[in-house]
Amino acid sequence: MKKIFLIASICFASHFCIAQFNTTLVVNSNPMGSLLNWGIKDLTYIISSSAGAGGKALIKATLKTTDGTIAATTNLARARVIAINPAAGNVILYAADVIPLESISFNGKFKTSMDRSGKLPSGSYQLCVQLVAPATFQPLSEERCRTFNIAAFQLPIPMMPANETVLDIERAKTTITFRWTPVAPRPAEMLTYRVTVFEVLENQTPMQALRSNQPLLAKDIIGTTQYIWQPQLGLTICSSCSGNTDGDNKMKKDSSNIAKPDMDPEIDAYAFIWTIQTLDSRGTPFGDGNINSDGISEPNVFFIDRRSMEMRKSGQPSRVGNLNSARKLKPGMELIFPPFNKN
Amino acid sequence: MGLPLTIKGIEMISAKLFFITILVVIFSTNILAQETETKKKEFSISGTAGVNYEYYGLSRKPTGWTGFTARKPWNQVRFNFTPTMQFGENFSLPINFNFAMKPTNFVGPYSGIKKQSFGQFITNPMNNFGLNPKYKWAELQLGTQYLNYSELSTGDIGVFGVGFDLRPRSYFFKFFSGLSQQGINYFNGPPTIYGAYKKKNWMFSLGKAREGKYEMALNFVKAKDDTNSVVTRPLTIKPQEGFTMSFAGKAVFKGGFYVHAEGAQSFYSKNLLLPEDTSRQSFKPFIKANTSTVKDYAADFGIGRKSRNFDIGAKLKYIGAGFQTPGYPFMLPDRVDYTLNTRFNAWKDSTGNYKMNVVASVGQRVNNVSNTTLKAKQFIGNLNWFTQFNEHWNLNVSYNNFGFETPSGINPYGIKNVSNDFGVNPSYTWSNDKVIHLASFNYNYSKYNERDVITGITTSNNTHTALLTYVPTFLTKNISPDFSLMYFINSVPGFKLNLVTFSCGAGMQAMKKKMNLRSQLQFNYSKTNSFKNNNNLVASLTCDWKVSKKLTWNNFVSSNQFKYGNEIIPNNASYFETNFRTGFQYRFGK
Repeated sequence: MKKIFLIASICFASHFCIAQFNTTLVVNSNPMGSLLNWGIKDLTYIISSSAGAGGKALIKATLKTTDGTIAATTNLARARVIAINPAAGNVILYAADVIPLESISFNGKFKTSMDRSGKLPSGSYQLCVQLVAPATFQPLSEERCRTFNIAAFQLPIPMMPANETVLDIERAKTTITFRWTPVAPRPAEMLTYRVTVFEVLENQTPMQALRSNQPLLAKDIIGTTQYIWQPQLGLTICSSCSGNTDGDNKMKKDSSNIAKPDMDPEIDAYAFIWTIQTLDSRGTPFGDGNINSDGISEPNVFFIDRRSMEMRKSGQPSRVGNLNSARKLKPGMELIFPPFNKN
Repeated sequence: MGLPLTIKGIEMISAKLFFITILVVIFSTNILAQETETKKKEFSISGTAGVNYEYYGLSRKPTGWTGFTARKPWNQVRFNFTPTMQFGENFSLPINFNFAMKPTNFVGPYSGIKKQSFGQFITNPMNNFGLNPKYKWAELQLGTQYLNYSELSTGDIGVFGVGFDLRPRSYFFKFFSGLSQQGINYFNGPPTIYGAYKKKNWMFSLGKAREGKYEMALNFVKAKDDTNSVVTRPLTIKPQEGFTMSFAGKAVFKGGFYVHAEGAQSFYSKNLLLPEDTSRQSFKPFIKANTSTVKDYAADFGIGRKSRNFDIGAKLKYIGAGFQTPGYPFMLPDRVDYTLNTRFNAWKDSTGNYKMNVVASVGQRVNNVSNTTLKAKQFIGNLNWFTQFNEHWNLNVSYNNFGFETPSGINPYGIKNVSNDFGVNPSYTWSNDKVIHLASFNYNYSKYNERDVITGITTSNNTHTALLTYVPTFLTKNISPDFSLMYFINSVPGFKLNLVTFSCGAGMQAMKKKMNLRSQLQFNYSKTNSFKNNNNLVASLTCDWKVSKKLTWNNFVSSNQFKYGNEIIPNNASYFETNFRTGFQYRFGK
């Protein structure tokens, strides 16, 4: 009887200790792989005092895969102390408090992945969180566990017009079709793809145009990865451009003209740069740890050949490839591969 | 509070001093130029200078409808001053000043900014203020510089600062340091200004090159945000620090064979506000790792042969999942690309010229390389085949394909998008004593399949385009008209767009061939499903007048009237755009 009483007392005492704080853990079922970018919508941990008593606690977090492999644990010696004051109401904590990178120790391939990319390998995980006493590491709350799937999302890739494509003005002045790859893998939320097109003005590099000009097109597309643009820009043939005049946005064309092999390789064309900005369901930029945090994909440059048709027919019509750099080389601008030393 | 303001003040003074120095340099070199010209007659100047004004107008009906937004600044003035002065054989002074009065940034750190400080003005990517005085093999780089060291180190970002490019014998040493962006405070708006930290950049390259034979370079690039450069911190952007080093080389061999390769390693701290972490690998003294620092690699390799009538080349590029470099902020990481390109001429005519030209490429891109279960593959193939059968007929055939596929499952299914474009374009030319006629027909079929990952159903998006163009060239008249008619149809289940365009234009010369005039009229009729049709009329006029041998006056005016049917609400909405550009360009030199 005494033994039963003793066991019951221990159980009651341990239950009382564990239940000192009530906790709730909410984890997004499909968060991004980059832990650094986890925000309010990805992880929330709420602490309330069950007995009205306050105190200090450490957060012990354990990250496991579904097969039980421990990916990461909190280094309690480096963990921050959380002050819980019942008079101040519930304590609400987010990812930066619950799994701060400075006090989480990753193991094996998970550490390798975090060191290389800042992202966890894609897969299913379970995160368990518990409050413990600062000195003794005795549990102060029940362990809360949630499972989730990590997927490393990649932003869209602009595909059409492909980089450095030359389009004929007759078609392009009416319609230009844009196509891009979707965010992969497909996230649970509905995404918006914002197609943006910028004109590359004279004396600008394409990247300068992207970073400084007002877009000619900024169209939000949902549910598909194609947009047919009617430019309505009044694009005109340059009848006076013989190939060596100082017109707008010249580009170099590195094609050997088969009818007139010695033709000046410089031709006149309008130049544009286009990209996709991906936005999540709240309209904020979507991206998995990219350094700009703006959801903007690597852009493509395309040209609209504004030479007269007679001139174009003496060479090849619009096609892909075989172009030199689109850059206008002014002082202070260099080719990707600097020219050989001329000295 | 006082200290940052003091630093800001010092920076402002420094920037002004820099500008004054530049003006003094320009002024003194002008005086020197005059002296040199009179004494040695060895001074020459080339390049251009000009000013350009652009007006944009937009009116919409009914009043209050915002379905179409302005796509240019209402008024903009742009200046360019890009002369290159040559003093004798050994000294040259290229100048590159290009700037606009009104900020229009949409993407990047300056997006949304309306009023900019002096420091923000000179570092805004829309403005260039660069000077590159060069004496023999030594070049001083001042002001805005878009330096492109290599494909994996730096190239896309302009930096305002000071540096040099020295090329003694076959060696080169390059160094540059400056600011690529100023600190911008976050502002909730409207309009929202996302803000940015001031970013300081350093880059260094040393190498050896011999013209036409080889080149190798060791490149170092670093950028670091100043965490104290803003009062209200950006919400979505963290202060960062990046360091990249690369080794790049290329060589050209006899017979047109070439090879180039580059390997790079990057260290990138994604949040400088986090504490230092000794367990992560640093690269001191260039970068100290903190808990957000990642380290990864990238490589680029190409090999091939180039000749007059036959090119072939293969390229391979690998970008690691954590590879980030400050010089290419939009670079897509975690991928492998490999492509094979070729170009060749064939079928000689009696004069020895080739009648046929083929350009083709095939390749594959694998995304998410670091995640074996999420790898997405893209196939890319292009072919362009041009044949000039005789003096009358030529034919161009093109085919472009890309496919994107992620690993498949059932609900959700894997993503699978496939695009196929086929085009055929015959042209016929005939002539008499007075006119050369050119008729061209272009037909293009485009099919784009997208699989819905939930239902697994593939939607086919089909587009047919037919374009007929006629261009008469009058040999005895000073006018060159052109006419084109295009029919375009795009259909997917539940959606059908028909579009017909008629366009005509005419160009002529006036004032003893000193003035080039070009006008164009374009009418578009479009109809979506069973809705009432939309009408669109675009008119434009270009007038370029060569006022003197060195001065040109360029003018452009266009209008765009678009009237919707009933496919949008409010029905019969319309907008009217006007665009007017005028500018003078002065050409230096003879």
